[in-house]
Amino acid sequence: MKTVLLLSFALSAWAQDVDVAAAKKAEQRECTQCHSLRLIHSQRLSKAAWGKELDKMAGWGAPIKDRELLLNYLSAEYSDAKPVPNDPLSSDGSSKSR
Amino acid sequence: MMYLSNRRQVLTSALAALGAAARAKAQASSAEPAIAGKSPMILHNDFPEDLEMPSEYFDQWLTPNDKFFVRQHIPRPDVDLAAFKLTIDGMVAKTSELKLDDLRKLPQHKVVATLECTGNGRGFFRPRVPGIQWGRGGIGNAEWTGPRISDILKLAGVKTDAPYLTANGLDVPAIKTPDFIRSLPMKKALHPATLLALEMNGQPIPSINGGPTRLIVPGWDGTSWVKWVNQMTVAGEANTGFFMNPAYRYPKYARPPGSPPVPAELEVIEGMRVKSAITRPSDDDKVTLGPVTISGYAWAGEEKIMRVEISTDGGSRWKDAELTPQNLNFAWRLFKMSWTPSKPGYYTILSRATDSAGNVQPIVAPWNPSGYLYNAIDRVGITVEKSA
Repeated sequence: MKTVLLLSFALSAWAQDVDVAAAKKAEQRECTQCHSLRLIHSQRLSKAAWGKELDKMAGWGAPIKDRELLLNYLSAEYSDAKPVPNDPLSSDGSSKSR
Repeated sequence: MMYLSNRRQVLTSALAALGAAARAKAQASSAEPAIAGKSPMILHNDFPEDLEMPSEYFDQWLTPNDKFFVRQHIPRPDVDLAAFKLTIDGMVAKTSELKLDDLRKLPQHKVVATLECTGNGRGFFRPRVPGIQWGRGGIGNAEWTGPRISDILKLAGVKTDAPYLTANGLDVPAIKTPDFIRSLPMKKALHPATLLALEMNGQPIPSINGGPTRLIVPGWDGTSWVKWVNQMTVAGEANTGFFMNPAYRYPKYARPPGSPPVPAELEVIEGMRVKSAITRPSDDDKVTLGPVTISGYAWAGEEKIMRVEISTDGGSRWKDAELTPQNLNFAWRLFKMSWTPSKPGYYTILSRATDSAGNVQPIVAPWNPSGYLYNAIDRVGITVEKSA
């Protein structure tokens, strides 16, 4: 089962020809002015839902240069077929002044 | 793989030996950022901060400020307290400006009120919906202190027959994001428990939770509780910005799970619904045969909590839990029950709250496209093991 899933994932990534390294650079450059990447990476969405998010963010001023690149990357890496991660705990900041 | 699962077992038993709070701290990997002023929190996002309270902290009726959840939509402002002023404008004879000292001179009122993120529990909806995948911890209960909105409007000489009061905070749009602005029906704004709080649990409100001035709208969803408020506008109509429409709206007519929203049929969310959640034990916990303490919280928006029942057999039989004594509108009650299972095995534990209007928590929370107002009967499963 795992092999089938991995294989189908690999095939779909190959079919879409996702340049993960370029996409990671793009999301760092184009998304983090307003929020950190955690907000993106904790989501698991369908390709259609990722498309909507990208369009919403572009409308709010995200300087997205290559929509297809990000869309293919996000919908492969953070697909709704994958389990939602348990977000980690932050380190203790209670004694730090705010 | 074997190595990994053994390591996990060792870690799990070592953690089980620690106290609850110590466990939360021990699990906080040093690789994750610390949020100034906050104990370890479930880190949905660090910039801007979206922090959920871990189940381990739900043991106090008043949630300490360092453990209180945080939901920011856009990066928060740097606030200059000396320069701070609150502007009251709109349908007024004359625009007024009040400084923090003016607000401190007004009669100060204390209200204990529960604040819950509109999307708390979103992670339990199926099919899943986009947005922060809150579990049980997008909620806290605090004592808020500050002047009543009605007294502020009186001081500013405002006639309060307009239908809305619109609140804006010092946070400003990032690039072209919408500004966070919310309108409140004047009737709710004038309620004696609706405050512009300056203090949270006896301390100036931490900036991360909206200080120096946060709108307190008891019984209503967190979205109404505007942070860093520096402008209140008396208005004939509700604001039409993104955070009033389409965001934070709920379908007037329920539709099948997974259906797209019908924009014309979405309504502004106001009061919150009766709800309880189990914070101890945690789902998938393993315990040794012996007494088990089941605890959690229950609240009901503008109503009071009258009853919380627990089932340890998947819902065949229910038993009343003990409730904390303070029985107030707007504030949660914590519940507790000691239960001694008679034999080992897997148990499904449920909690069900009833409020002062007779509303009972539903078995299934109505699915909605943004995942708001999750309030289904809570459920955790635990394995009771034979003692060694």
